Parts: sequence; structure tokens; C-alpha cells
Amino acid sequence: MTALQSVQTLELRREVRRFLSEERARGTVLGRPDSWLTGWHPEFSRRLAERGWVGMALPKEYGGGGLGFLARVVVIEELLAAGAPVSAHWVADRQAAPSILNHGSEEQKKRFLPAIAEGRCFFSIGMSEEQAGSDLASVQTRAERVAGGWRLTGTKKWTGGAHCNDYAIVLARTSEHEDRHQGLSQFIVDLRAPGVRVEPIRLLTGEHTFNYFHLDGVEVPDGMLLGKEGDGWAQVTGELAFERSGPERYLSTFPLLVAVVRELSDKAATADQQVRLGALMARLYAVRQLSLGVAAALDEGRPADVQAALVKDLGTRLEGELVHEVRRILPVAADAGATPGTYPELLALALLHTPAYTLRGGTNEILRGIITRAVEHKEQQS
Amino acid sequence: MSIPQQLARVRTAGCTAGTGSAAGSAPLTEDTFVARPLAERAELALREGPLTYCLATGLVIRWAHPAVFHVGPAGTMGDDAALRVCGTLPRVPGARGATVLVAAQGPGGPVLFPVDPARTSVETGANLAGEPRDTLHLSDYQVPAELARPVTPELLSEFELRAALSRAALMAGAAQRCVQLTVAHTATRIQFGRPLGHFQAVKQEEARLIEESALVGAAVEAAGEALERLGAEARFEVAAAKAQASASVAEIARIAHQLHGAIGFTELSELRLATTRLWSWRDEDGDEAYWSARLGRAALTQRPEQLWSLLTGAN
Repeated sequence: MTALQSVQTLELRREVRRFLSEERARGTVLGRPDSWLTGWHPEFSRRLAERGWVGMALPKEYGGGGLGFLARVVVIEELLAAGAPVSAHWVADRQAAPSILNHGSEEQKKRFLPAIAEGRCFFSIGMSEEQAGSDLASVQTRAERVAGGWRLTGTKKWTGGAHCNDYAIVLARTSEHEDRHQGLSQFIVDLRAPGVRVEPIRLLTGEHTFNYFHLDGVEVPDGMLLGKEGDGWAQVTGELAFERSGPERYLSTFPLLVAVVRELSDKAATADQQVRLGALMARLYAVRQLSLGVAAALDEGRPADVQAALVKDLGTRLEGELVHEVRRILPVAADAGATPGTYPELLALALLHTPAYTLRGGTNEILRGIITRAVEHKEQQS
Repeated sequence: MSIPQQLARVRTAGCTAGTGSAAGSAPLTEDTFVARPLAERAELALREGPLTYCLATGLVIRWAHPAVFHVGPAGTMGDDAALRVCGTLPRVPGARGATVLVAAQGPGGPVLFPVDPARTSVETGANLAGEPRDTLHLSDYQVPAELARPVTPELLSEFELRAALSRAALMAGAAQRCVQLTVAHTATRIQFGRPLGHFQAVKQEEARLIEESALVGAAVEAAGEALERLGAEARFEVAAAKAQASASVAEIARIAHQLHGAIGFTELSELRLATTRLWSWRDEDGDEAYWSARLGRAALTQRPEQLWSLLTGAN
């Protein structure tokens, strides 16, 4: 990863670290696990945007930084490692922006991309439904043609942030075909439009991030069809490498590792504690290198969906294993009611979120099928 | 050739080791990646022939010609660099047919010197894959002054890093071999009327094998770039690569064997050439506990906020 060692990149990293220590001092960056899911802080998002750290990979003409994916990775891995509250702009920056850039009309690009890069426009993703989880092609939300646009009807499920974001990118069926992968289209839906109703689905912790997102005949103008009618499947699957391979697939629980090191540094660590801690570090190092490889591939325009699936399975399993291993290194009763930021409280938070790591962004069992198929194909050709 | 390029070759050697192919019988990695470059760096003129190495601990090394009247802060000095060595060089790769470059703590600090096995008592042995691992017993072994080379601690440290990283690269190759053989097997072996690879349970395990192998490969590659850039300062990266390579062996070998069924457990399959090497190599040049402990200690001797800097190698 020589690009990562370039002077500009090292300087960027230092700059983010300086910013983070200022934000720690003002109490915004608290080293919380899973902060990209639950740390909703629009003012913090805007402060990041002021420094040019939202929409970094977007072209300058649309208000972006004109930088590559690797530069973006440097910033977001610093933010996640520090447990910074980045969930407000997260989906807009990671998914909606590249999606609009790649498939959107000129008008959509001009309207949404600068707003995203300024940290003023937050997005949700409306893909999953009751009957369409891993099997996304079976979405039942429909878009019917009406004068000047479309009318959307259906219910999306697990829509993170729909209760506080501005827009959602919705996958809906626009026509019927024998091949279910045809006839799907993507729409940009205003979350405050008439007919949108958002209903919370609380996590097992009681936290509210997920929602049912009901579309009761929501009218969407023609200009808000994203990409081509009927191309929804290709557009959605093309985005998955962005979603699956980033630092959020192995760093969600990293702040807990920092917490246990803090606890141990006051004491004389045993040989066993050192070895277990070191083994986690080795695995984090290795997964990070694989993940950086995907970012480099995306920068060079090479396909990376299989590599991305691989990173996602390895990285998210590590996120969970880390929690259990940290508990073994320094046993303590996890306590969600303990003082926020203390080791037992952080352990509880990371632990209670473990079921999500290997589910979100494509269930790992399904991703493994993608990996095996691709490697079999490659070996047969060689 | 750059270190990453050399390591790519080492990895190929690890992939084909034992199969009798040209790459598998190329000069020893111990020679080309570790012993020879370091001997050259230390300007040691060695006689012709293959080299191997040993990072020795527990040897008794004394000056051959102690300068009785020159007692410095570190003890007696030598009139010249000549040494007398007693002790054991355990399980040295291919020592029966090579000169052994030894790195050790001498009476005046770190030192490199060659050992000619013909002048020692050689106890031949083998690792689990049948590769020669010979133990040499040195009894008052004489190292002439021109062959005993005092070196810096950094060179000694780079010696250890090169040894560990080349072993890890061999392991990445053997892991890749496990993937190749397993994928080929599950694609062609028919049971219940379909290839094994069509069974979901098999796919799940196979993907994990592919992932674990890719993980080792990525760590090794990145550590190679770090070693090229940083030399002896690449200790975190190399430690992580060897720790991960060794730690991944159990899972890689388990899945490869499980998916091969009974044939993998026999001489009828080539799988054993890769898995027995992995089981051996994970212990050689420092096992996962050795290298993980170093990583853990590095993490605990810094401020907790520095943990991330340590992982990214940027401060």
C-alpha cells in the first residue's frame, strides 16, 4: 500500500488526528463501539464537511474533494478507530453519493452531491423488506407510472435513520418479468413527502436506529428516478463493493480494544494477556491490509465485489470475536448501566451489538457462496 | 530485486514445495532471502556453496585470544575478533549440506559467523514434512578472526525479521496450495450425484478456507513492503504477518483436510505436502505466541490512544 505512505496521505492522517483530539476535548468523540450505526451527530458531520472530509471521493465540480477512495479510507478509518459519531452522514457519504454520481442525472448530481459534501443532506437506504432480506430481488414495493412521475407503494424494513434523515434511495419493482432481476428501479424519495410513514423497530438494547418505512402511494417526480428504469438490480449490486469492504467492517469494536489496553496499562499484564492481545492486533492488521487492497482496486476501477465479500466475512467475524476475546483477556461483568465510557459499559455495548456485525451489509453465509463460486470459476480457468 | 518481488518467489516456492517442480527445488529460501543478503551486508566472504542460518540463543561464546590486560566495561576484550563457541544449533534447515550463518550475542555484542557442519557433530533430523532439520553440536568450535563479524543490533533484528517473513511467505504459498487442491477436489468429486462443491455446507467451509489463505497472503505482502521501506523498523508489520500466518494454520489445514475426505489423509493426495509443511513452519522462526507477545507488549508499552498508530504504522 505504497499510496498510503505518500506524504499527502500521512499529512491527511495527522490532520484528522489533530481534529479528533480537539473533538475529544469538546466531548463529541467518545470512543464508542459501533459509532457509525448509532452515533448520530449532525453538527459533528458538518464540522467534518467543513474540513472537506465528507464526499471526499466526489469530483470537485460537485463540491467533493476530487480525491480517491484511499484518501476517504484514511479519514474514515481514523474516525471509526476513535469511535466518532459519524452515522448522520454515513450512508450519504458511503453509498448515496457514489450511486448518484455513477447513475444520477446531471440535475440530481447538482442538487444532491454538493449538499451531501456540505454535510447538509443525509440519506437512508431503502432496500430490504419483510420478504426481501438476503434475497433482495424479491422486493415487493411497487412503482406505478402516473402523470409526471411515479407512485410508490410498499414497506421497507430495517431502514436505518429514516426517522431523522432527508432522503432515501428506494429499490422498487417497475415491471414484471420472468427473471426477477429485471424490472427493478431505484428512486430518490423525500422522507418528508406525503405518504411516507416511519415506524421504529427497536434493537434488543432498546436503541432506535432501524425503522419500518411505509410508502403509502408516495408520489415521486420523474426527475427522481435514479439511473435507468429497469436497471435497478445492476445498479444495486454494483454498489455493494463500497458497502462491504470498508473499515466499518472490521473496526466497529476497535474502541473496546483501546478500552481494555487502557485497563491493562495500569497493571502488569500477564504473558497470556500479552499474547491474546497481540493475536488480535495481528488479525486486525491482516484484515486491514485486505480491506485496503479493495480500496486500491476501486481506485483503479478494477472489480472488487468478491474481494469485498471476503473482507466483509473476515472483518465482521473479527468484530464479534474481538468482543469475546477482550472479555477473556480481562474478565468483567458487562454492565450497560455502568458509567458511560467505562470498560464494563463499553463491553456491554459492543456485546449487545454482536448479532449485527455478521448480518448487516449482506449476511455472511450468503457472501460465502459468492466467494466460493468466484474462486471455483477462476481455478477452472487456470 | 526488491523485497516484495523476492517474497513473491518465496511464496511460489512454498506453494510448490515437495511437488518436485522446478520452483519447488529452487535454491533454499534460507539462502537467498536470509543468509546470503545478510552475509553480504556484514561483508563476510564465505566459501562457495549453499547457505542456511540459525539465530542462536544459549551458546557459550568466548574470545579465542582474550586480551588479559584490556578489561573494559563489558569485560575482557579480545586481541582480535576470533571466537571459540560451545553449544547447540537446534533444528537448522538443511544444515547437513550447507554452511550455517549463525547470529548470536558474542562476548563483545551481536556477532555473525559461519559454521561448517563438517567440523561439528551433526544430528540429522526432519520436520513433520520430512524437510531436513539438523541439530549441530559445537564443542570448542574455532571461528577465525576474519570470519567473526561484529554487527549492529539493527542488523541482528533485521536478520530475525527476514527469517520470520520468509517463513510466513512460504506459509502463504502453502496455504494457497491448500486452496487450489481443495477447490479442484470439491469441483470434481461427485457424491449423491453432484460435485461436493454444490453442497451449501461445503461452500461455507470452502469460503472460510479461501478467506483465511487470502488473509495470510495480504499480511505477508504488506509486511514485505514495510520491510523494503523501513528495514529493521518494520518489526510490527513482520511480527503481525508471522503471528497471523502461524495462527491461521490450524483453520486452513482443518478445512482443507475435512473437504478432501479420507484421501487427503493418505499419500495418495498431494495435500499432505502443504499441510505438514504448514504444521511445521508455524513453529519455525517464531510461533504465533512468540510474535503475538511482542505485538501485545508493544501495545501495552504505549499510551492506549497510540494503539491505532501502531496498527497503521503512521504517527
